[in-house]
Amino acid sequence: MDELIRLDALGAGGPYHSRSRQTITELTGTPVAELSLVPRLFVQRSMAALHEARTLPAHDRVAALTRAGRLFATGVVDGIAAEKYQHIVSRVSGMPITVVRSATSGIGRRAAEAYRTTRYARPEGAVDDWRDPLTRNGQAVWTRRGDVFAVHAAGNHPGVHTLWLEALALGYRVAVRPSRREPFTPHRLITALRESGFGDDQVVLLPTDYTVADDIIRDADLAMVYGGEEVVNKYGNDVRVLPQGPGRSKILLTGHDWETHLGMIVESVSAFGGTACVNATAVFVEGDPAPVAEAVAERLSAIPSLPPEDDGAVLPVQPVADAHAIEKYLLDHVNGATPVLGGDGVVDDLGDGSGVLRPAVFLVDRPDAPQTGIELSFPCVWFAPWSRADGIEPLRNTLVLTAITQDAGLVDRLVEDPSIRNVYLGDTPTYLMPPWVPHDAYLGEFLMRTKGVIRT
Amino acid sequence: MSTDPILDCPLDQVPEGPAFIAAAMRWHFSPETGSPYWLDRAKTLGFDPREDVRTFEDLRRFPNVANELREVRVEDLIPRGYGADADVIGVYESGGTTGPPKRVVLLRDWLERLMHRTQQSLQARGYPESGHWLSLGPTGPHLIGELIRRQAARRGGIPFTVDMDPRWVKRCIAEGRADEAERYAEHLIDQSAHILETQNVRVLATTPPLLTRLARRKALVDLINAKVAAISWGGAHMDPDTRYLLRTEVFPNVKLYGSYGSTMILGGLAERVTAPEEDLIVFDTFSPYITFSVVDPETGEVVRYGDRGQVVMHHISKSFLLPNNLERDLATRVAPPPGQMGDSVADVGPLATFENETVIEGVY
Repeated sequence: MDELIRLDALGAGGPYHSRSRQTITELTGTPVAELSLVPRLFVQRSMAALHEARTLPAHDRVAALTRAGRLFATGVVDGIAAEKYQHIVSRVSGMPITVVRSATSGIGRRAAEAYRTTRYARPEGAVDDWRDPLTRNGQAVWTRRGDVFAVHAAGNHPGVHTLWLEALALGYRVAVRPSRREPFTPHRLITALRESGFGDDQVVLLPTDYTVADDIIRDADLAMVYGGEEVVNKYGNDVRVLPQGPGRSKILLTGHDWETHLGMIVESVSAFGGTACVNATAVFVEGDPAPVAEAVAERLSAIPSLPPEDDGAVLPVQPVADAHAIEKYLLDHVNGATPVLGGDGVVDDLGDGSGVLRPAVFLVDRPDAPQTGIELSFPCVWFAPWSRADGIEPLRNTLVLTAITQDAGLVDRLVEDPSIRNVYLGDTPTYLMPPWVPHDAYLGEFLMRTKGVIRT
Repeated sequence: MSTDPILDCPLDQVPEGPAFIAAAMRWHFSPETGSPYWLDRAKTLGFDPREDVRTFEDLRRFPNVANELREVRVEDLIPRGYGADADVIGVYESGGTTGPPKRVVLLRDWLERLMHRTQQSLQARGYPESGHWLSLGPTGPHLIGELIRRQAARRGGIPFTVDMDPRWVKRCIAEGRADEAERYAEHLIDQSAHILETQNVRVLATTPPLLTRLARRKALVDLINAKVAAISWGGAHMDPDTRYLLRTEVFPNVKLYGSYGSTMILGGLAERVTAPEEDLIVFDTFSPYITFSVVDPETGEVVRYGDRGQVVMHHISKSFLLPNNLERDLATRVAPPPGQMGDSVADVGPLATFENETVIEGVY
């Protein structure tokens, strides 16, 4: 990169090039971009402008979202072609280029589908408009819980930016605080939305210092916050905030036919470079988990170490110091588990200042071993023994649970447990996310409520 | 020993630096005129300031004794040369962020000198010649409130005050009671609103965080734009983006000037007057009385012009001596105007932090 890319804040009055800026570097430490950071005053004025802004009519929102998705995925936005954007994201985040490419087209597709997707969340008894003839006899109308929605975004995968598009589709004005790790995606997406019909005062990008981050939430009607356990602890009791906490996705394997599911397990662990909340981080095996772990480890160990922009790359890459910090965290937490793969370390130094995070596979000796809850941003999986006597307790607190079982009673309990958010049965990888299947419930359930209307 | 006239020079004259320093060292370290504190402290300095401190650079020989001012009896801070009837305006305390507060004594002759300088600053910046002031900030043990009250009175206005207790705010935040700090801050704004609504306030003096908070209420912004001619901010940092937004969008019709100072230098200095398009917030000093150096936090050496470093403050007057006080602020070192000892400083502020801490576990 010869010239630094300028990532302005996108305020209600247009792009804002601030005096306070954060340099965004790629994996080798080379500066790539400068991200404008805005102060509290800018945030509160932007949020006030969102509250005062009007909402586009639904059909205009749909059209604008569709156009923006196409532009984002295939067009030139802010002078940057899609291919160049993908290369930058890959070189900055270390995510394999093929994952970035499919995320790009995924965002484009989900933008076009965003409004339609929200329909899945609408209660069967509700209509969209009080003018609907059904309200004559009394009917529920589906209405927004507020007008302004804030997002503290994550930078682990561009796909996190598909979800809030549904808020825009439902008529919310939206403020996004990007992650420092990867601000390119929300910047490109919001720029595309603005070029496609949304007003500057309808969707804003507010990169801020940590100290100001909470102001964005305070000044919004509702908010969604990505983070770990600490985010859940901080916002768990705030009814205005939807935390997107740890995924801790899992696989349960019963019966003896594990070999046919090997591909599904490997894919669940390693898809998206293992960086997503829907990647499996623990596998529970009825009987002896060792042969399964060894077979998975064998497959994972065959994945080559490549720079992320290589078409064959599968594994995530980090600046080598960060990669070693993650490795140290892992090795510090092995705590008696038996290494099957990666026990001596997981970093493969590429020699240019960056390092590949290679897969890790460990065996623990009981299903309630605390290691099964460790979720790291690369393919890292803990295998544990499980028996029917252990029940569903070890399987709880899970975003996606894939269960290979014929026991309908067990499935009943998994589906009934509120801490398991999605149950996939059979040879279904944990990362599967078709738009009609809720991710962590439908976002629409949080954004909307029914209101009774009777016309006499 | 009589007072060297240079220490009592007329208010509208600026004494020559080295001659002033030499006279001040003789005053503060002679048994007849020095304060009990400094005379005692001199025994362990390892050098004789009367012989060894003659230039601005020599001030760096002093240890930073600011922490000792937490415990010293205030009587022991008054130079004996003032005699038994030193004209004490009051005793003021530091904010108390880093432990028990540090104390200083404000004597009348220094107050007069500082007020004269401040009036010149206000004049040069076009502050209104009349009208009332609203001070929304610390009063009580904090010097800033006293100084604003007197500035207002000197310009013929009534000083309205809303008291903020910064120690309570810091305590709320330290104890994780952000909601309590929030409620308290809103209580301050409510009180200010009532004064702004009912009185002819022409000057508003407050801190940057409270100014940002005032700007949340549109009705107050309108009221300030309609009534207030000048806003003085101080007591905390203002980042250049906030200043730009306040000047161009929020309060476009109001003069906006910062001040930078500390209780430990017994005063504050007004922001340098610059062209409107100039983005740098620069503070010149009140040389030779209040002076700054910008140093490398690691080596203690002065950084190059344009580089950032930690601010060292010095106060030297007949009434008080506190050289070489390392503040926690970072600033850009700026060339001083002609005749000023030491550095000017720009863009004073803390380090930016994007993330609270490095979190490894989890995918986000």
